[in-house]
Amino acid sequence: MIVLRYVKLPQENFEEFFNSLKRWGKLYAPVKKGDIYSFQNVETLSEIALDYTRTMLPPKKFFVRPKDEMLKLKEGHWEEANGTEPIVLFGVHSCDIHGLEILDKVYLSDPVDPYYKKRRENSIIIGISCMPDEYCFCKSLGTDFAMHGFDLFLHELPDGWLVRVGSVKGHEIAWGSEELFENVTEEDFHHFREFEEKRTNSFKRSLNKEGLADILDLAFDSPVWKKYERICLGCGNCNMVCPTCRCYEVCDLWINAYEAVRVRRYDSCFMETHGLVAGGHNFRPTRLDRFRHRYYCKNYFDPESGFNCVGCGRCDEFCPAKIEHVKVLDKVREGLQ
Amino acid sequence: MTFQTHDARILEVKELTSREKLFTLRFVDPEINRKFKYKPGQFVVVDIRGFGEFPISLCSTPTREGYFQLCVRRVGRMTKHMHTLKEGDIVGIRGPYGNGFPMEKMEGSTLILVAGGLGMAPLRSVLWYALDSGKYEKIYLFYGTKAYEDILFRDEVIHLLKHGEDMNCHVKLAYEVESPSCIYLEKGYSPRVCKGVVTDLFRGESFDVENTYALICGPPVMYKFVIKELLDRKLSPGRIYMTLERRMRCGVGKCGHCIVGTSTSIKYVCKDGPVFTYWDALSTRGLI
Ligand SMILES: Cc1cc2nc3c(=O)[nH]c(=O)nc-3n(C[C@H](O)[C@H](O)[C@H](O)COP(=O)(O)OP(=O)(O)OC[C@H]3O[C@@H](n4cnc5c(N)ncnc54)[C@H](O)[C@@H]3O)c2cc1C
Ligand code: SF4
Ligand code: SF4
Ligand code: FES
Repeated sequence: MIVLRYVKLPQENFEEFFNSLKRWGKLYAPVKKGDIYSFQNVETLSEIALDYTRTMLPPKKFFVRPKDEMLKLKEGHWEEANGTEPIVLFGVHSCDIHGLEILDKVYLSDPVDPYYKKRRENSIIIGISCMPDEYCFCKSLGTDFAMHGFDLFLHELPDGWLVRVGSVKGHEIAWGSEELFENVTEEDFHHFREFEEKRTNSFKRSLNKEGLADILDLAFDSPVWKKYERICLGCGNCNMVCPTCRCYEVCDLWINAYEAVRVRRYDSCFMETHGLVAGGHNFRPTRLDRFRHRYYCKNYFDPESGFNCVGCGRCDEFCPAKIEHVKVLDKVREGLQ
Repeated sequence: MTFQTHDARILEVKELTSREKLFTLRFVDPEINRKFKYKPGQFVVVDIRGFGEFPISLCSTPTREGYFQLCVRRVGRMTKHMHTLKEGDIVGIRGPYGNGFPMEKMEGSTLILVAGGLGMAPLRSVLWYALDSGKYEKIYLFYGTKAYEDILFRDEVIHLLKHGEDMNCHVKLAYEVESPSCIYLEKGYSPRVCKGVVTDLFRGESFDVENTYALICGPPVMYKFVIKELLDRKLSPGRIYMTLERRMRCGVGKCGHCIVGTSTSIKYVCKDGPVFTYWDALSTRGLI
């Protein structure tokens, strides 16, 4: 069989296909842990939560780790610290694929971040279709469908999966197990369309982007920010879980009297130190400054890469103060009229 | 690799004031030395391996090759560590980073350098670049300092007060704290030396705004006042350059700390700057 852009994976072959992926690297997929979902190393298909909504930490954790060794000090000189192993990320939603592409713009632009690049090159991304819950608003941002940024993308069908092949690597993977695949029929396409239509109509939340950049900029002194300043706890959860937040701090740590490592770890623009410089001057001294800064950063429309928000809903789901991203922006908009 | 730092040897340490030291450095590897090209206004990241990194402006001029200089104020953990280093010690260096001042574009024009305190460091690079190259119409240096003891590169400043006019270089100095030394200077060079703040030095000055650029560096509070003086004289926002400071971790647009702006314009001070025009500041909220 010749594998092309679309193939079908019948349900009876699904498990075998899944198992075959281990050939390509250590397999990670969303599993349920207590109340949350998380990308974890898996061995069997039954461990996976195929119908998961969103993981707490997005797939960025594999490429920019929460705590990450960069360099190791050996006799006064730095050596590159980390080795990389090939990984397969199974079951990534389209918003998160878009999120990774936004991180690519940051980390792969000149000068390249060597750690991120190595890990990206050693990873295989297998996307999977999803149904939105009450937090999702990716459709309004155009990140509800991934055209690239994956190797294979599985779309649910009543009797299996319609598989989109997104890269040469993806093609090789499918080829490697070609006996498991079939040609796609008209009926499959029909089911695919049906699923997408149902999905499109299931979104409960949407962000009004109309003139958003200018409206937000004009609303710099809006009382709405002040209102939220009082509600926000400044905990930085929203940064940690956001697929496009990637500020990091760096520090050198001594492991013993002879060896030190340079480590970076996630930072958050909600922390008071984020804008602090020597002499005690702080460029974002109040929580209001910091709250607003995050919204400006997320809603800046970069002509090359679009918004810095992919509408995944994580910052809403994991905010202890129940602050809702879309609602904040709607309120700011209303406040201006 | 992006975050690797190169060995540089400290050739000389000079105490400029009680808080600032001038370090003269050269890369140990001659090849790296040869390749190290920079522009006034760019900065490097200094790496004291096992302790940390911090950004510092290059305060020497690329017209003098074979070494580079950093003026470091002792303010906290890393800079304190730096101040303990001696001639012969090795530090790691990466860079140069940032855009720097558009020196070529400004050729043939008059430059007004406005420095406050430590802001003298990056502007000293411009000053000597301009003097060495001889390609600029006229150079003004307006320098605001707290006290006589705080004047950075004091020998050079006094030398230029004395002899600058011969090189088309007009130095003016404002000090805040009176002392015998200041009064002595003021007697010798009045009205170019006076008690006051840096904006007082603009009094009585007018410029050919069609052919002038202003370059500003100083503490955050200084910019608005200096810019007002320049705008009052109708200097275009595109001719006002300033170099800015932010917390920086990476220096290359990755760590996110130096991001400034709003939904209509976001800038990274490390890679889009640290030199910006006043027009940039008008279109990117929060730059100054
Ligand atoms: C582009 C640029 C050019 C600079 N040029 C000079 C110069 O020529 N001479 C000079 O003396 N200083 C300069 N600085 C400021 C210098 O980087 C800080 O004074 C220094 O980082 C303070 O570190 P510290 O550990 O001694 O201070 P601490 O107060 O102990 O710092 C605490 C932490 O905050 C960080 N931090 C504090 N201030 C800054 C800052 N401004 N930028 C980045 N990180 C900061 C430090 O790295 C440290 O980890 C420049 C800063 C920037 C951004
Ligand atoms: S800002 Fe919130 S909704 Fe947008 S990408 Fe980040 S976590 Fe997801
Ligand atoms: S998660 Fe919520 S409470 Fe915490 S910093 Fe973000 S907006 Fe504020
Ligand atoms: S210093 Fe890290 S992004 Fe500018």
